[in-house]
Amino acid sequence: MTSPTDIGAAPQQDGGEGGAPEPFGLGSSPLRSDALPKALGIYPYAADLWAEGLLWGAVLRSPHPHARIRGIDTSAALALPGVHAVVTAADLPPGPDGTPDGAPAGPVVADRPVLAAGVVRHHGEPIAAVAADHPDTARLAVGLIVVDYEPLEAVTDPEQAFTAPALHPDGNLFRHLPLRTGDPDAVGEIVVEGLYQVGRQDPAPLGAEAGLAVPRPDGGVELHLSSTDPHGDRDRTAACLGLEPDRVRLVVTGVPGATTDREDLSFQVTLALLALRTGRPVKMTLTREESFQTHTSRHPALLRYRHHADADGTLVKVEAQILLDGGAYADVSAEALAAATAFSAGPYVCPNVFVDAWAVRTNNPPAGRMRGEGALQACFAYESQLDQLAARVGVDPVEIRRRNAMSTGDPLPTGQAVTCPAPVRALLDAVADEPLPALPVDDPDAEWLLPGGPGGAGDPAAVRRGIGYAVGMVHMLGAEGEDEVSTATVRVSGDHATVICAAVDAGQGFATLARQIVQTVLGVSEVYIAPADSDQSIAGPSARGRHTWVSGGAVERAALMVRHQLLQPIAANFGMSSELLQIADGKITSYDGVLGMPVAEALEGKELWATAQCRPHPTEPLDEAGQGDAFVSISFCAMRAVVDVDIELGAVRVVEMTVAQDVGRALNPRQIEDRIEAGVAQGVGLALLEDLRTEGGVLQNPSLTGYRLPTALDTPEVRIAALLEERDVVAPFGAKAVGAAPAVVAPAAVAAAVRAATGLPVGRLPIRAEDAVTA
Amino acid sequence: MLPASLDEAVDALAAAPAAVPVAGATDLMEAVNAGRLRPAALVGLGRITELRGWRYEDGGTAVLGAGLTHARMDRPDFAALIPALADAARTAGPPQVRNVGTLGGNIVTAAPAGDTLPVLTALEATVTLARAGASREVPVSHLLTGLDPVRPGELLTWVRVPLLHAPQVFLKATGRSGPARATASVALVLDPARRSVRCAVGAVAPVPLRPLEAEAWVAGCIDWDGSREIDPAANAAFGEYVATACVPDNYGAEGAWEAVTEGPTAAAVRLRRTVAVLARRALGRALK
Repeated sequence: MTSPTDIGAAPQQDGGEGGAPEPFGLGSSPLRSDALPKALGIYPYAADLWAEGLLWGAVLRSPHPHARIRGIDTSAALALPGVHAVVTAADLPPGPDGTPDGAPAGPVVADRPVLAAGVVRHHGEPIAAVAADHPDTARLAVGLIVVDYEPLEAVTDPEQAFTAPALHPDGNLFRHLPLRTGDPDAVGEIVVEGLYQVGRQDPAPLGAEAGLAVPRPDGGVELHLSSTDPHGDRDRTAACLGLEPDRVRLVVTGVPGATTDREDLSFQVTLALLALRTGRPVKMTLTREESFQTHTSRHPALLRYRHHADADGTLVKVEAQILLDGGAYADVSAEALAAATAFSAGPYVCPNVFVDAWAVRTNNPPAGRMRGEGALQACFAYESQLDQLAARVGVDPVEIRRRNAMSTGDPLPTGQAVTCPAPVRALLDAVADEPLPALPVDDPDAEWLLPGGPGGAGDPAAVRRGIGYAVGMVHMLGAEGEDEVSTATVRVSGDHATVICAAVDAGQGFATLARQIVQTVLGVSEVYIAPADSDQSIAGPSARGRHTWVSGGAVERAALMVRHQLLQPIAANFGMSSELLQIADGKITSYDGVLGMPVAEALEGKELWATAQCRPHPTEPLDEAGQGDAFVSISFCAMRAVVDVDIELGAVRVVEMTVAQDVGRALNPRQIEDRIEAGVAQGVGLALLEDLRTEGGVLQNPSLTGYRLPTALDTPEVRIAALLEERDVVAPFGAKAVGAAPAVVAPAAVAAAVRAATGLPVGRLPIRAEDAVTA
Repeated sequence: MLPASLDEAVDALAAAPAAVPVAGATDLMEAVNAGRLRPAALVGLGRITELRGWRYEDGGTAVLGAGLTHARMDRPDFAALIPALADAARTAGPPQVRNVGTLGGNIVTAAPAGDTLPVLTALEATVTLARAGASREVPVSHLLTGLDPVRPGELLTWVRVPLLHAPQVFLKATGRSGPARATASVALVLDPARRSVRCAVGAVAPVPLRPLEAEAWVAGCIDWDGSREIDPAANAAFGEYVATACVPDNYGAEGAWEAVTEGPTAAAVRLRRTVAVLARRALGRALK
């Protein structure tokens, strides 16, 4: 694995009594503070919480994907000894017309009821909840609730959603986004067409949903949850319960895996409602099956593409129709659709782009946010098209991409100029220049892992190797005019600093980054990161790579303000500008070396506090022709996949993924590599394994046996070819977020490699065994 | 209940016939945690050391303890004895499961995709079902098909496997490189003394299937006295023969028991292709 060398020598500092120097400040790679407890299994998660006298919650869920609820009889459940409360939609604040509506809520559109009122729209939708003195009693009571269902026809094919009767008062169309740019009559000498399908990937976090609600004496409630958006979750929970937001406090516990919004609102509102109703703490942990039913998954997609190009492969026109299955409720479907539409042509220059994209409502499980939502589905389609085009033109897949690659300043089909660095060609060259892994024939003595795994049925005579390339893009931060803001407070006292910021470290490493920022700005090595809760100022959700940018920026500003407060009096005393002073190794020194004062001495026992906000430049919504400056910034990634395919059994093993990524500035190289490996693992999972199947809207494999997550043996070697550091001038530190781009590109690269190995037109993800059998 | 010996265990089961014997608990606890099973009592077999090994009997038979773990069966000494069972044990799951999951548990759970089951079927193994004061011997296939099930108060103690001193192969097709449930598996053993090939196909039906006609046919294609080679075309035909015998035309179709007239379903074609490849490769490896 190669590492960049131009990140600047990080200042080193002694890590205590005689210990080895500990990495310090930006550009170094300190170990995450939670790494050891997590590895040892002593890190506490929400499922480990306990309170004196707590009750246990359980939820009744719909066995039908679509049904009218004619009546709910809870009397038998209430009569069960040990049951303290049974709640249904009737226990939530009524809707505008005075009847129960289940207190609908949602991140963008409030259309998803906390508890189903009158109708269920997806398999597993919560209908009622119980609090009892034992988890088994609660589950038993759930079984005693009698619901009179009138099953309705389920709309499960997104193409049927347009003509089907409305499944919700809001209708079946979440959004239609047309994009028109250039000349509709332009034609190229070469035309390639394709139909592409992407299945339903689930975030499948290692820890299922769990939480504890404690009623407060003021009539409010305190929720202990692994939330990734404490303020948003608090506000929505309060609204659903009819409380003032400040009556609800959300304390963030350890987050057991999050590649999406972590908790679903129904879970936490129900939990809070049970605690308020019983006046006792209530704990609830979902089973794995419930977890699959309740949290949102990736949007299944159907994409139809037609590329026109000149004889030499230069793109002339891209036409596309994109259909995202949003499931039963809106969630962030509109936003995913915007990304799929805006990036529908990929990181390529194309003067004429005509796209129609729809996100529709069905009776399938709701889809939502998941690394690179929208951008991933489009990437698989446009990269598959580029491979087809390369074959038709008769050039190498890398060359066709180089010929069309966009550069800094080129426009997106939305009319927005890509003003951030867009080093697409450099990324492609970096992965193409890396040496290829050895072939088994070159090294016959080594033990080769064949497709099918160790001890599997693999036969070397039937194995073909394929190499595929893909490059893709994803936006950072909220799009289309969303107000992105984060607040951070930095305090210095004695020889240590504290950061108070509600940005949740969901495993992406924000706490480590915040420590590095404060170390760099203030020169103190001891930095404490306070746990996040909703009583702190707002930082927003941990998604879309926001926190590196907005919360990292807020921490830096707050630290700089503290630094100014610290240095200003000293500089005034010496009659020099504070810019001439620097802080390093816990000491303040002047440019000429005359002054050398420890930070603790300069503080004179005082505490310095500063709070700052970071808010990037505003964006605007896409108009009726799909035009507008909708994105703050974009990151790019190129990959080369090497796969071995057993062409008789269709078994695929990804041997190696080579990655080059545009990171702006590598603030913590090791953490970046971790994020890339995580994204590759998730992308490979989508490409080959992960598919949450439904049959008539009913989940078929809601378990970790049925839903195949990649294991260590399924995850390839990840080779980092380059972390390209071209600073993004508008971003704090010039750094770009790194988590989403690898997940966006990896599936397309694996599909290209399987295509190269088998010669088959791989048109759907995940790639099934029968799609890779050539016989 | 935690009996320390086989006799104690059998007595405990006689006293409480509703009790469930438990060894590695990899299948049992999953069912308990999911609320599908609420056993009245458990008889833990973990302390019965005699069931964790094996012994030899006259006439070339190995008597395997039901408490043998998959990890133990994967070790070289055992693999030299019954190679196909070792192959099956090696691929049966992640190390955590193989370290505690046992042979007896795999048989009693009788999951369609149980990895040791086709091997035991191909080996024509028998099991000992012990109860207080008596025990009986049952062919493993009779147990799996429900022809002769485990009765209340009985404990599966031993598995009798003939030692064939000839190549054996177990192959399984999964959708991944990591440990996974088989979509289809094939166990194939050579029995030079009887000049026969025995084959069982797992995971395609509720119990492992024996393609008896294909076995008999291919046994006649092998030069048993010479190099034990087979014509590649005959090997390929064997694969097709096994696949057609074990996967019905209407595999995966609605109303699977009704006759279909339109030829094999797409699912049947796919599964047959997989089974044919596995059977062909298995025989090829056994005769190599």
